Amino acid sequence: MNVLYFLIPLAMLLAIGAVLTFVWAVRRGQFDDLETPAIRILYDDEGDE
Amino acid sequence: MASVPSPGCEHCGLPVPEHRRGAEGELFCCAGCEAVYYTLHEAGLERFYELRQVWAEPVPVQEAPEEAEGRFALFDDLEFLGQHSEFLADGTRKMEVYLEGVHCAGCLWLIERMPRVIKGVVEARFELSKSRLTLRWQPSETGPGRALKWLEQFGLHAYPVHSDRIEARSEQGRKMLVKVGICWAIAANVMLLTIAVYAGLSAESDPGLYRAIHWVTFGLTTISLWVGGSLFFRRAWGALRMRRLSMDAPISLGILVGWGHSSWVTFQGVGEVWFDSIAVLIAALLTARYLQVRGSALAADAAERLVALLPRTARRVVDGVVEVIGADRLEVGDLVEVRAGDVVPADGVIQTGASAVSRSVLTGESRAEPVALGEALEAGTTNLQSPLRLRVTAVGEATRVGRLMQWVETRGRHRAPVVQLADRLGSVFIFFVLVMAAFTAVLWWHVDPARAVGHVVALLVIACPCALGMATPLALTVGLGQAARRGIHIKHDDVIEPLSRVTDVVFDKTGTLTEGRPRVAVVYGDEGMARAAAALEERSGHPMAAAILSWASGRGAGELQDVEEVPGAGIKGRVGERRLALGRPTWFGDGEGQGQEWVRGVVEAGYTPVAVAEDGEVRAVLGIGDAIRDEAAEVIEELRGRGVRVHLLSGDDPRVVRATAKTLGIDEDRVRGGATPEGKLEYLKELRERYGKAEVAMVGDGVNDAAALQDATIGIAVQGGSEASLVAADVFLIRDGLRPLSELLGGSRQVMRVIHRNLIGSGLYNVFGIGLAAAGFITPLLAAVLMPVSSLAVVASSILQRSFESEEAPRGEVTPRAVEEATPAVGVSS
Repeated sequence: MNVLYFLIPLAMLLAIGAVLTFVWAVRRGQFDDLETPAIRILYDDEGDE
Repeated sequence: MASVPSPGCEHCGLPVPEHRRGAEGELFCCAGCEAVYYTLHEAGLERFYELRQVWAEPVPVQEAPEEAEGRFALFDDLEFLGQHSEFLADGTRKMEVYLEGVHCAGCLWLIERMPRVIKGVVEARFELSKSRLTLRWQPSETGPGRALKWLEQFGLHAYPVHSDRIEARSEQGRKMLVKVGICWAIAANVMLLTIAVYAGLSAESDPGLYRAIHWVTFGLTTISLWVGGSLFFRRAWGALRMRRLSMDAPISLGILVGWGHSSWVTFQGVGEVWFDSIAVLIAALLTARYLQVRGSALAADAAERLVALLPRTARRVVDGVVEVIGADRLEVGDLVEVRAGDVVPADGVIQTGASAVSRSVLTGESRAEPVALGEALEAGTTNLQSPLRLRVTAVGEATRVGRLMQWVETRGRHRAPVVQLADRLGSVFIFFVLVMAAFTAVLWWHVDPARAVGHVVALLVIACPCALGMATPLALTVGLGQAARRGIHIKHDDVIEPLSRVTDVVFDKTGTLTEGRPRVAVVYGDEGMARAAAALEERSGHPMAAAILSWASGRGAGELQDVEEVPGAGIKGRVGERRLALGRPTWFGDGEGQGQEWVRGVVEAGYTPVAVAEDGEVRAVLGIGDAIRDEAAEVIEELRGRGVRVHLLSGDDPRVVRATAKTLGIDEDRVRGGATPEGKLEYLKELRERYGKAEVAMVGDGVNDAAALQDATIGIAVQGGSEASLVAADVFLIRDGLRPLSELLGGSRQVMRVIHRNLIGSGLYNVFGIGLAAAGFITPLLAAVLMPVSSLAVVASSILQRSFESEEAPRGEVTPRAVEEATPAVGVSS
């Protein structure tokens, strides 16, 4: 069971990484508009015109 | 809805008159569509026509681009830019504007394709939920005015954003979302760690790990308490200082007691901890709060957008030179020019010119009214025909619109907030829990002091009002979201409850039961000739021309020659071999004869007469008016089926109103015509007296309704109504027609059912839990395991509700063409 003393802090670090990524995404405004990107994905001819 | 796939206009799909053909054989219904079509092709943006199939409503017919340079010059004005845009590090400028008229994926694509078409535009991003365009451009190459003017020709109108409150709101939302994310991450990790304890880890099996898990969960939960819990502590403390017990008090108490006890245990090293339930509780409650904040922020954005529709620029005439300035810089006594298509920026009196105007922003009345020298115009009126010059008599808040907005605002603030069911229940519940906790403590102190603390804590954990607290906001938020997706915008979630108890629905006729745009309703005399003459209207800018043209669509015969429009009278010219004319009956002389009889008939039925003459002799008379909406009778029948009393209240001629009521089957004693704004308020008062406890929903669209909309329990504004009424109303329906109204009433009843189900379920659960805990059957550990079960049940029941989703057609199915064909022009004018 001693491996847990290593694994739990590791898991915590991963969780902190995930939280930081989330905070970064929110700050960048990625969750401000949940409607428009669903439609924006339809423009599939980006750049080849 | 089966419309025959006839070759329609290339741009909008509407039927095309015979004589209109594009340069390469394309079909266009009007010059506006033709212009838009070629502009799109020149810019290499044909893909618009594919994409617009993808989403929502059909593309409406846009009017021909008006010349409106001045309006866009404002956007390039340096002073304006200084206030409304910001410099970015790479030398570009950024600005946000409202953009009205985005209807489909095609529009969106078009907007965001701007950087390729207009040199100097670096980026264009549009946000659907807020109708906001973020524009970034290179100041050395172009100004925003050019980009916005380019959009204008597609019928996308830009308005400056006049508030940074929106920015503040979205900043607040983001901060809260970060907190929600952190709290859930902590809750998930604390739960995972605690699983070891549930699975059998104990102080005996592995004391070191057991203690380590206590300390780690203690640390994590304390962070969660700091980040998320503080919100509840602050609010509970604020309420306590005002000597009120809010829902935040028991939440804070539960969190603090649980955390305090668990921390004590952690330090002592003996006993059970339940950091997991505390962490989940904080995360769940914070989520419910976040949903509420997000919902109300969207509603506030919408209201602000409406205010932005009022004109912000004016053309001031100084020594014969026209300059464009911000409307707020106008002063009483200034001379302003209002061109065709412009909105009047301030109250004023006409100094030169004669034109037709639409007061629909103020009254919801779509009919164009002729105006002449010396007449007064209110700010918000749209000039439709020819340029006018006005002497300003009132500006800003002194204008009629300004006063009205102020009135609506202050009334809105003074209105007593509807106390939410959950808060009422909550206060009772808190009291009950505290009494039970004290009782349990005293009881077990006498029975077995060592177990007293454990039982009290088990009781507080299981009685945690987590499910109870989430029941109402979650169900309301999901319900509001579903409604918004169906074109029903509910401004505050506290109107759902009164909506579900509505006993009386009062309709304002203009524009609510009727379509709100003129059409040919009756024809006397030679119909064939009238249709031939209608082709003349092609050349007319008169507001009624469109109605007559669409009535005669596709039947214009022969070439138009010598067409001459006489302002204030009519239009005449040669159609093929015939000399035809349309216009005011008096234009053709006011002698006796059959023509006069027809005119009388038309006027008595409440329509506006248009005489059609061949060689100067009146041969037919058209009656132009507003048709009753197709589905009005059905919706009214449905309301009656729900046990709702239907009333009709209108400012129109009493005879006309009675005739409409009869057509729709509304009882005679619930109909009133010729009602003034004060009369409407009076009627609502009478209604309350007559039926005792009446919950009145007022459905209206004009400024004259704004007072009544505010006074009624629920004010509902419909699509196409005046902006002022939209601000005054609690609910606005952005989908055309009345069908959303019955969905609204049915849906809110459904939402209330879900809320009741949630409250009863979680209430029963808690009462049983408290009983068992007080009796000592539940350990704190078991309580911690049971607690989330009720929360999960509430979440599932709220999210899976289908309140506003009927099996009916998805939005966008009704095309203008289908409506055009399905609606025979029967009915009465407004």
